[in-house]
Amino acid sequence: MAKVKNWQIQREMEYPYQEHRPKRQWSIVFDLNKCIACQTCSVACKTTWTSGKGQEYMFWNNVETKPYGSYPLAWDVRVLEKLGQQAWKAKEAYYGKTIFEAAGDNEVAAHFAPKDEDWMYPNNGEDDCLGNVSHGAHLTLPHDKWFFYLPRTCAHCTYPACLAACPRKAIYKREEDGIVLIDQSRCKGYGECVRACPYKKSMYNTHTRVSEKCVGCYPAVEKGYQPMCVQNCIGKIRVMGFVNPPWKIREDNPIDYLIHKKEIALPYYPQLGLEPNIYYIPPIHADRDYLLQMFGPKVDQAIANYKKMKTDPVAQGLMVLIGSSDRILHSFKVKDGVAFGYDEKGDEIVSVPVTEPMFKRAAFDEKLKATRHNTP
Amino acid sequence: MKKNLLLLTIIFSCSGANAQVYAVKKVAADLSKTPQVNGGYWQGVAEIKIDLLAQMMVKPKPAKVQTETAKVQMVHDGKYIAFRIRWNDKEKSEAGKLGEFSDAVALEFPVLDNQNPPPIFMGFKDNPVHLFHWRAQYQYDEMHGKKSVKDIYPNLNADTYPNEFPDRGALKAVSEESKEIFSHGKAAGNPQSAQKKAVDELLAEGFGTSSVLKETDSVAHSEWKEGEWTVVISRALKRPQGSVLEIGKGSSFGLAVWQGGQDEVASRKSITMQWTAFKVEEK
Repeated sequence: MAKVKNWQIQREMEYPYQEHRPKRQWSIVFDLNKCIACQTCSVACKTTWTSGKGQEYMFWNNVETKPYGSYPLAWDVRVLEKLGQQAWKAKEAYYGKTIFEAAGDNEVAAHFAPKDEDWMYPNNGEDDCLGNVSHGAHLTLPHDKWFFYLPRTCAHCTYPACLAACPRKAIYKREEDGIVLIDQSRCKGYGECVRACPYKKSMYNTHTRVSEKCVGCYPAVEKGYQPMCVQNCIGKIRVMGFVNPPWKIREDNPIDYLIHKKEIALPYYPQLGLEPNIYYIPPIHADRDYLLQMFGPKVDQAIANYKKMKTDPVAQGLMVLIGSSDRILHSFKVKDGVAFGYDEKGDEIVSVPVTEPMFKRAAFDEKLKATRHNTP
Repeated sequence: MKKNLLLLTIIFSCSGANAQVYAVKKVAADLSKTPQVNGGYWQGVAEIKIDLLAQMMVKPKPAKVQTETAKVQMVHDGKYIAFRIRWNDKEKSEAGKLGEFSDAVALEFPVLDNQNPPPIFMGFKDNPVHLFHWRAQYQYDEMHGKKSVKDIYPNLNADTYPNEFPDRGALKAVSEESKEIFSHGKAAGNPQSAQKKAVDELLAEGFGTSSVLKETDSVAHSEWKEGEWTVVISRALKRPQGSVLEIGKGSSFGLAVWQGGQDEVASRKSITMQWTAFKVEEK
């Protein structure tokens, strides 16, 4: 095992291969306060990539309702169970074990191996909240009966467990964008990646007898466009770009800005040790202990930082840029109430007002002699 | 460092062959055809008892040895050599469903030097091994055809598949080949995605390096009965791209067994730790 640097847990950890960071790293940031589980992302992905035989059950992108929703069944609980109880003190590095360190002598990663019935209920637990909402229930903040939606793609991890576990070295991480791919001509369908990936984002195809996974929509990314799940997000809750490690951050990079500069977006289950590259703005009204388990001890600060954004015109500008273009935003700036997004060459892709202009109309339309209503 | 030294010691101590050389007698049969599991030519042929251990060289490793012993018989017909391998397996596993794996067995032969084989663990860089990999799943393919998704999951319902629509005149139905362009493994030409013969041939130069050979002429047949597999793999003595066996001369073989029902696949297997030497007799 090599010693590699994992900035998300703030320490070196064991991994089967040497540290090798790509030239740039594919990444998505999701704002969980905005996701409504419309599943448009899931459908966009499904129709693009997984409508063939053997892929009937596959959702490379899925949205599950937390705490009860899960695809495959209870993936998170079962992986955490295999990892065992670990501690992570606030303002300290994570000194518990990662799945690579908890693997034991025989395995590459501590894992559970899903069977077919585990994959058969992609919307298990959908819209279920934590407990019964009985008579007399009233609003509390944070909510005592809570749920939130968790959209998930492959995290194209810096230290992928799927890649580490593949006996045929048929999984590789692209130098140009950090996207992790399964070589479809070389895979023999051993399913080791399906077992090892704690997020369960490698899936076996019974028709082709090889494993498949989210490809990060690399053909779109190569042309400067965001993945289908991002382009089609009607809630504009997600943005794809390239994340840098903390020692290389660029503040005008939208992804770095959200993760490193404002510290409002966090990786999920960073304690597993994969340095996943999908990041979440935590839901501010969900149970804090649950969020602590999912996002680590920085979650309180991330939520506090998020709440402060309403007084920050630059952060607000970036939030309105998200979802305003299908192109990848390499940099942005906010000036005079307008947010600008730029491509890799620095050419402007999009500009949007930070605050939409307000038009006030009289309650009675004199010309039409009609009363105006707000309702359609 | 200590661990690496131990590994090297194991590799080189296991690269030699057993001192005993087993004779392979000639029989009056055509072994190039699908071999008979219980053919008369197996009667009276000495059976070698071979001990297996859980693969321990690379992760992931099986937690325990699932197949402790295999029994092997060998005959040849002057052009082909057949291996009849038996082992206990309480359940027949042909894979298919998600998270299910196939029972399997593989024979391994040196390629460059039959007298000085490479380390038995899948060969070495520039010193390959030739593998004959039988799977129950492949045997099913050969006998009954490759299972469709509907065969595997009869109650599955899919609204539609891309490119699968009837010819509607203006909208022409696409060719069978074109239907598969969205099946990634098939479109990439992965041999794993095609209908298989009962036995695959591969070359390997170490763990994780095996590549499937095209246009093979080996054949296999099998029977699972009362908790025991009997598999016969018959291969040409001379395989120009792989291992070449000659009448009157010796070589050696290695063996690996997978119990799919126990989730064994890939490096999760029981293996021989030493080569078993044999000589192809003239008679």
